Amino acid sequence: MTRLARCMFIALAAMLTATAAPAHHSFAMFDQTKEVTIQGTIKDFRWTNPHVFIQIMVKNDAGVEEEWSIEMTSPEHLVRTGWKPTTLKPGDKVTLVIHPMHDGSNGGQYLSGNGPDGPLIGTKGGAGR
Amino acid sequence: MTRRLAIAAVALLACATTAGAQQAQTMPDWSGLWENVGGTPDPSGGFNESLDWVLTHLEWSPPNNAATQAKVDAMQAGERKRLDDVAHGINPADAFKACTFGYPGLMLDTPLMFEVLATPKETVLIFSSREVRHIYTDGRKHTPKDELWATPWGDSIGHWEGQTLVMDTIAVKDPYGPPDGGGSVSAFGDVEGFLTLGILTQQARYVERMRMIDPGHLEDQMTIIDPASLTKPWHMRRTYQRVQHVKRMVYEDCDGEDRNPIVDGKFTLAPPPSYSSQPGAFATPSAAPSAPSPAPSPAKK
Repeated sequence: MTRLARCMFIALAAMLTATAAPAHHSFAMFDQTKEVTIQGTIKDFRWTNPHVFIQIMVKNDAGVEEEWSIEMTSPEHLVRTGWKPTTLKPGDKVTLVIHPMHDGSNGGQYLSGNGPDGPLIGTKGGAGR
Repeated sequence: MTRRLAIAAVALLACATTAGAQQAQTMPDWSGLWENVGGTPDPSGGFNESLDWVLTHLEWSPPNNAATQAKVDAMQAGERKRLDDVAHGINPADAFKACTFGYPGLMLDTPLMFEVLATPKETVLIFSSREVRHIYTDGRKHTPKDELWATPWGDSIGHWEGQTLVMDTIAVKDPYGPPDGGGSVSAFGDVEGFLTLGILTQQARYVERMRMIDPGHLEDQMTIIDPASLTKPWHMRRTYQRVQHVKRMVYEDCDGEDRNPIVDGKFTLAPPPSYSSQPGAFATPSAAPSAPSPAPSPAKK
């Protein structure tokens, strides 16, 4: 979630200790110090508020397919960057770069990737980076 | 006599219509969707801009008085610790869901897009968070004190100076601050980064001058006047650029389902259920529907 108008979270402690508590979200469940690349097949591209999710089937080390949940931002923000509800379709082969979950579960935060038609929108490098 | 009155009435109506049309013609065309330069979203869920970039490239320089700066310093210490905690996987304490941005943040540093509907009597700013600012330009004064209370969007009136909309806003409070608190100013960047820069009182007055500086950009010059928290008026300039890729307003649904519920004190992932039908499968009419046919007249006997 982000201040980006999706679900936002703010610290109650901050609210109680001062007059100004900026609205905020948390991505605390993602390890933002790590980037992991996963390859797999799209099961679902779930275009929903407040967040869009990529459900992707990924083979584990034993060769067994497991479902991963990759969280993106909101539809409102995604359309402004060029994404559409149909950008990814079930069966698409993709490679995604994510921040993994701290707890090691099959999930992460979307960063960038490659889809059937080439690079997906979202590679870092915009203003300020 | 009756005929003269009728002619006079028609003449007056014509004059009024012409005046209205002339007034309407002078209204600027700010149609389309706009976004804050410095607050563009990233597909990953954060800002495209880093917090450092936002602090460096956007105009801030808060002239806080000593008491305010002490509060700001305390806030920033907590915010920096929070950022460090999150980077190390430590959940923010007692976090809860919040969906309102509020003013003046709506104008200063948000990733939202907005529309501006300018009419002679009122200009409306509609944000994708479903927050709305109403700027009344019909000559009215601010809401009387005995009918006024502070809200996250304040009480706004304005007037036009040529093609510049001058807005005057009072009675602002932070949506998540204490009941007697005023508005606040914060910088946002990256995914998690934010820093409180100003803590204002409910007596603060906000004066803005908004104009189109070129076909692709609006400009807002904001001055915050709040002697109780500032040593001098606080001036900031922001620009807004046209939104790319989308031609219609798309709203956030922050109040919708929670995709990151806190379980056992930890944020978790809760993807939405699978679709029964995929998005994009909607039938799109090739043309606007025609008006319904009038009901057939009863058959005459």
